[in-house]
Amino acid sequence: MHDVSAVHGESKGTYLWVWGALLLLTAVEVVLAYKQVLQPVRMLEVLLVLSVVKAGLITMYFMHLKSEIPRMRWLLTISVTGCFALMWIFFFRDADRILTLGVK
Amino acid sequence: MDRRAGGGETIMATSEVVHAHAGPQGFIRKYIFSLDHKVIGIQYFFLALTAVWVGMFLSLLMRIHLIWPQVNLPIVGHIQPETYLSLLTMHGTIMVFFVLTTAPQGGFGNYFLPIQIGAPDMAFPVLNMLSFWTTFVAFVVMLAAFFVTGGAPLHGWTGYPPLSAVQSTGPGEGLGADLWITSIAIFCAASLMGALNFITTTLDLRAKGMTLMRMPLTVWSWFITAILGLLAFGVLLSAGILLLMDRNLGTSFFVPVIVVNGQLMGHKGGSPLLWQHLFWFFGHPEVYIAILPGMGVTSQILSTFARKPIFGYRAMVYAMLGIGFLGFMVWGHHMFMSGMSPYSAFAFSLLTMAIGVPSAIKTFNWLGTLYKGRIRFYTPMLFAVGFVSLFVSGGLSGPFLAQPTLDIPLHDTYFVVGHFHLIMGVAAIFGIFAATYYWFPKMFGRMMNEGLGKAHFWLTFIGTYAIFMPMHYLGMAGHPRRYSQLTEVAYLHNLIPLQTFMTYAAFITIGAQFIFVINLFWSMLKGPKAADNPWDATTVEWTTATPPPHDNFGGQTPVIHNGPYEYGVPGAARDFVMQTDPAVGAAH
Amino acid sequence: MATVQHAVHDTHGAFEPSLFGTYSKKVGMWLFLASDSLTFGALLFAYSYGRISNPAWPTPFGKESIANATIMTACLLSSSLTMVLAVMAANRGDKPWVRNWLLATMFFGAAFTVLHAQEWTRLIADKMTPSGNPWSAVPLFGGTFFTLTGMHMLHVTIGVIYLGVIALRKKFLPVLLVLWALGFFLTPADSVFHYGIHVLLVGAVISAIVLFLKPKDYDANDVEVSGLYWHFVDLVWMFIFPLVYLMSTKV
Repeated sequence: MHDVSAVHGESKGTYLWVWGALLLLTAVEVVLAYKQVLQPVRMLEVLLVLSVVKAGLITMYFMHLKSEIPRMRWLLTISVTGCFALMWIFFFRDADRILTLGVK
Repeated sequence: MDRRAGGGETIMATSEVVHAHAGPQGFIRKYIFSLDHKVIGIQYFFLALTAVWVGMFLSLLMRIHLIWPQVNLPIVGHIQPETYLSLLTMHGTIMVFFVLTTAPQGGFGNYFLPIQIGAPDMAFPVLNMLSFWTTFVAFVVMLAAFFVTGGAPLHGWTGYPPLSAVQSTGPGEGLGADLWITSIAIFCAASLMGALNFITTTLDLRAKGMTLMRMPLTVWSWFITAILGLLAFGVLLSAGILLLMDRNLGTSFFVPVIVVNGQLMGHKGGSPLLWQHLFWFFGHPEVYIAILPGMGVTSQILSTFARKPIFGYRAMVYAMLGIGFLGFMVWGHHMFMSGMSPYSAFAFSLLTMAIGVPSAIKTFNWLGTLYKGRIRFYTPMLFAVGFVSLFVSGGLSGPFLAQPTLDIPLHDTYFVVGHFHLIMGVAAIFGIFAATYYWFPKMFGRMMNEGLGKAHFWLTFIGTYAIFMPMHYLGMAGHPRRYSQLTEVAYLHNLIPLQTFMTYAAFITIGAQFIFVINLFWSMLKGPKAADNPWDATTVEWTTATPPPHDNFGGQTPVIHNGPYEYGVPGAARDFVMQTDPAVGAAH
Repeated sequence: MATVQHAVHDTHGAFEPSLFGTYSKKVGMWLFLASDSLTFGALLFAYSYGRISNPAWPTPFGKESIANATIMTACLLSSSLTMVLAVMAANRGDKPWVRNWLLATMFFGAAFTVLHAQEWTRLIADKMTPSGNPWSAVPLFGGTFFTLTGMHMLHVTIGVIYLGVIALRKKFLPVLLVLWALGFFLTPADSVFHYGIHVLLVGAVISAIVLFLKPKDYDANDVEVSGLYWHFVDLVWMFIFPLVYLMSTKV
């Protein structure tokens, strides 16, 4: 268990493939942003989804979270994303209200 | 400290036979930059002891000023309203960060978490040392705020902008406030190092047989506290960086268009509410960082001194996990009056009420533990029972404040001050006292004096109630907190007799703390020698020598066969079965 | 964080198996990254909060800026690839290639930082400051940009130093000092990087303390742990790039 030579079950090919996918997703993001094909809010959503996919690829393949045991994988992921979800739910509601209430 | 030196050397001589890690020689490696978690724990303990005296002295000045506003004190001089605000800011900050966070977790957690799980040290000893010294630097930077031009900041321990975000808002808001934020940022870094060390140690270094459900509740409480710290302090670090930028680089994260002293500031477009969200996202878990270790210690002591297994061990563990989990979702109950969305307030109110459930589970389990116990009222037990009492009386005002409709009149009154002092301040301090009296024999090899301990308990217990209970009445009468002048307003003037009573109670309580310190240092030097297990307790720290050798168990690792609270086991030779004894009976 | 030394305990036999099923140093690094992601997350939330409440947010990044930022992103992504190849080489025990791949990673990381520093310099020359910008009346634009990218740049710099220590050990110190001196003398005295470059000096001092107090041959675990940090820095950029740059593209 303490031997890192424990193979992560991935080869150079996998890494190249992930790298290519990340570059491709970046290109898609840039094109979307530059061509302004979507409304700003919709574009933000699409960009964020793409970013989360990229972050997932990096953590799962490059950071080998895929080959860690499920307990570690899930506890780390859930605790961090849970905090972000809470901030998302409660912060932006108030940011919105600044536009509609009070002195601007 | 001297006692440990003597004890340590003898143990080391014997431990070489079993190939133990030899302790470092030389004063500096042994006591100053020590990697031994026990020395680091004691360093944290004394840092907190220093801090608590500073914090207590500040509160004394405030209490004196409230009832004798014209008095000219030696050294301090005549207290101006600004000075009063500085005093309360520094009192709150020092107490929360350098006492309530430092002593239970950094001090006792550091010393006893590894021993209680059978580990030779923390997972990362160097990181542990860095964590202490970083905390120390943070403390020095914090104290430095008193001595710079303008003095200490005025913005309270919560540092609300715009007061805290603009340099010209008051005398202490210049360099003093910069030092304050810097100190907190440094403290965040120190806490991160500590937290990840505690978590890794608990995950990786439990001795054979120390399964999760055999860990003492103290270990659980330190473990959960570390998780809260890991997630919460990172957010505070960001908030601190942004506040420093607002103050010094002219950014506007937390500052809208604002006129200060008749002058239009260059800020625009920021929101003080954002600071409140970021701060309380840290700040509420911080409350549990302060109180959870106290809960763990209380559970441990109640079980030991009632000679009964803890009532509902698993329920206790799940309740603590539940409190930690819910603790992240309730930060908005500090912000009902901030202009936050009422929908959020509704959600926060419900979630806050939900915390009452695990808290009640813990309280009833403590009472269940005491029920029909053969109670031994030694000083640690008195303080543990005192903790339960304060936890209940401080906690009961929580559901009032958790409701937005009730919080609107009570917000920023003495009711809130009374509430959080009872539950977060005094209850947590009682946890620290209980832990001190309980573990002192293991840490310093001698017993503390029981008579002085009991005197200390009763004076402190009655004294703190006498200080903080009347605050609830003041709050219901509408007395705002943070006011330094009470004589000019008629309805506050009428409340001065109650304030006077509280100040006298504060004198007595602070006086009682001298008994504690005298007892502490006298016992360290002259107390009767302690046996390895003076309380007939079951957890692993009581199996090793007193004080423990450099690597805790003299080169061996204990093997665990029993749960942590096997008292009064039928058929056993003694009325308790230690965790390392051969397995007896069914697990609870 | 890059310089912390961890004691290795004999965990065989006498202890319960690790709950995370791996060695302590890796667990420690993951926990640090969890905390650091909340630090960055809070900064990104502060940015988003300001952006939502200021609808007149400027969108000044033209073709040149976006192209530059895209190249920077490609640099970081490629550095992640070379990093993971370094970890692979370390698992094979192939020391020369560990060093080569680490050096390649450092090269991409340094390229990222240099490109980003040039970008900053351009923006500062355009009169963008933490408290204001020429494109709009929203001062938060500059503040959020410099905070987020500055914090990230600091992380990249620390990462390059960390990898340099792992790859070259004591031989890295003179390299670092030369880089510091070059940076100091080649940047104009009024540039923010004329002072910012001192991060390298501080890094050199801390690295020297670590390397001399605890000299050791860094093994595959150390490479993997440093890799975790490096990939995380890459990951953070995956959020900063779209939020800060792409959402402010000039129409």
